[in-house]
Amino acid sequence: MSTPSMSENMRVVREAEVRHDLALLGHLWSEAPTFAVVPTNLALTEDWLRASLSLLPDDYCNGHFILMTSGSTGQPKLIVAKKARAERLVEVIHSAQDDEPASETIACLPLSYSYAFVNQWLWSHHMRRKLVRTDGFTRPDELKSALDSAENAMVCMVGVQVPLLRSLFGTHSFPGVIRLHFAGGRFPQEQLADLREIFPNAEVFNNYGCAEAMPRLTIRRASESDLAANIGRPLPGVELKTGDDDQLLFRSPFRAVGFIEANAFRPIPDDEWIETGDLGHASENSMWTLLGRKSEVFKRFGEKISLPAIQSAVQRVWQGELAFYRETDSMGENGHVMVLAPHPEKDQLKAIMMELRRGFSRPHWPLRVESTQQLPRLPNNKVDALALTSRNDVTVQWSQRY
Amino acid sequence: MENRQKLRDLLMEVLLLTDEEFSFDLKREQVETWDSLAVVAIAAGIDETFGYHFTPDEAVGLTGVRDIINILEREGIRFAEA
Repeated sequence: MSTPSMSENMRVVREAEVRHDLALLGHLWSEAPTFAVVPTNLALTEDWLRASLSLLPDDYCNGHFILMTSGSTGQPKLIVAKKARAERLVEVIHSAQDDEPASETIACLPLSYSYAFVNQWLWSHHMRRKLVRTDGFTRPDELKSALDSAENAMVCMVGVQVPLLRSLFGTHSFPGVIRLHFAGGRFPQEQLADLREIFPNAEVFNNYGCAEAMPRLTIRRASESDLAANIGRPLPGVELKTGDDDQLLFRSPFRAVGFIEANAFRPIPDDEWIETGDLGHASENSMWTLLGRKSEVFKRFGEKISLPAIQSAVQRVWQGELAFYRETDSMGENGHVMVLAPHPEKDQLKAIMMELRRGFSRPHWPLRVESTQQLPRLPNNKVDALALTSRNDVTVQWSQRY
Repeated sequence: MENRQKLRDLLMEVLLLTDEEFSFDLKREQVETWDSLAVVAIAAGIDETFGYHFTPDEAVGLTGVRDIINILEREGIRFAEA
């Protein structure tokens, strides 16, 4: 067993460095020492990073790369992956998507994000395609220009970005985009009609995975299902199964090899079934359906409450953003609070409540419906669950009153 | 706001009723959303809005909107023309 020691050659790069020097990533990838790419705006001190990386055993100090993931609590976790495995995954993804006809990719997500790093940067590097780097929706002018100039381009987005396309670019369309991938959150099933207008020549895909999978496990074409929760079929070589209480587990030849969390390195054995953190089950045609995050499915008055199912129903009538946090009611039962952003009009709230009444019995209804102008988000675009519960600019729109 | 309107607003909110569905003659069995948890919510809402605490028997025994009005009127809360 090797002893922990941080290689002197190991390099840590912040997202901002990569943004201005994409060649740097190619250089780091081609060299032996393991390197880490971390977000620019995450408040991580160099001391914390060095201390964490010093936990990496010698066996992992060459031929690997390290990315960071933050759960909804924002606690950082360093994911250690093998370069050769990630390259193999890129080849499999390329092949699974009809030998990906895209000749370039436009990056509008941070490359420190495993989804963008593997699907876009590594794909472009390994398959020798062009990568157009943008600052995403923080520089809409730059993004619009890149999308306007696209020629047979592949774009990776997360669902929460879709409303921004309409609000920033109106009815403008981008015919040069031929592949549009979603991952990293709920698939924007209700916005597909919008997406088809904005990207009239694009085939839309729902991808599912997690940082430990580095990052992809399944894929489906948008046209294959009407359900946002349908994540499609496992990629070749990937196995899924359900464990206790519908927990979704995976094995993958492409997955990460270990992680550093809470001041410890933990290797992931090859035969280990790894928790995705989601609940799900096999459905028809070898496809899989998500029930929600472990924390998003719970019992209330004996009934199984699924927050994703509630979200799907509400988003049939609500085009804004939506998030939940958990709370216990005055009777000691588990419950949830729904947060809308921006503040809804009276008629919109009424439509939401009527949709809840139509689809669910009262135990499924939120304890409260709150609204805020904008949902608080972490640097990786996920909703900041901690901040969500402690905002003081919240309006209570509806309440169960107990 | 008059008491009649306050009660109407409260019940429409708790039971998620539309304007067309609400009536002061509404019976509990006509309202799918008037379940056991709704009883708790109505009692809490009556307390908050009118300052009257239903006894458990009163809350569980409600058969419709008229019963709520009758109990509150007995307590001196007026519902003109309800």
